[in-house]
Amino acid sequence: MRTTTTRAGRTTNAILVYLVILVSLQIFLVSVAVEAFTTGDRSVAWASAAASIVLAAGAALFTRALQQ
Amino acid sequence: MTSEPETTEQSPEEPIWHRDFPYSAAGEEEVTRREFARYLALGSGVIAAGTLGIAAWTQLRTINHGEPRPIVALDAVPVGGTHLFQYPTSSDPAILLRTAADEVVGFSQKCTHLGCVVFFQSSENRWHCPCHEGNFEARTGAVISGPPTRPLGRIALEIRDGTIWALGSNP
Repeated sequence: MRTTTTRAGRTTNAILVYLVILVSLQIFLVSVAVEAFTTGDRSVAWASAAASIVLAAGAALFTRALQQ
Repeated sequence: MTSEPETTEQSPEEPIWHRDFPYSAAGEEEVTRREFARYLALGSGVIAAGTLGIAAWTQLRTINHGEPRPIVALDAVPVGGTHLFQYPTSSDPAILLRTAADEVVGFSQKCTHLGCVVFFQSSENRWHCPCHEGNFEARTGAVISGPPTRPLGRIALEIRDGTIWALGSNP
């Protein structure tokens, strides 16, 4: 069965895929931060937090682009 | 009694597949792709905030480095032998090794990879973590092989009047 997909629909799907990837990376970073917490490794904890914030900003930009 | 055959209205916007498969799930229209994207972005922000909180907690957490206290009599540990104890708290497993007649070294027993308990392999003269085959140098605790990237937590020991004292830990 073949469905027709518009250009806008393909863009939406692509952005959704990017968002899922970004959130998956953030979940991985949470596990890194928890391990850094248990071992008291402050530098790794801050690095993972910074990376997670960057990814969240990227997700926000993607979502904003989707709304326009 | 005759009945009219059922006919279904087909709107021009309806996709072809829906005419072939005319079933719909309850609430399938409730979440659009754009709404799903918004939920993902919201979740992303929550995860970032949580990670930031963990980092702040790690920064603010005070780690007990321990107070000086006697551990065991030196004569109770043979040269090349080990002794298990808890330091700096009763929930922190630690181990010491008497490397010479007047020399002892002490380490946290938690592997720096994922926290499994390490033990001394006298045949290889190294600390060994059985969980993921991590190995550490006997005298310094430095990583020899395996997944750990950091050395074992060192516990400063001193021999005072025939007794081994723990002076503090360096996680």
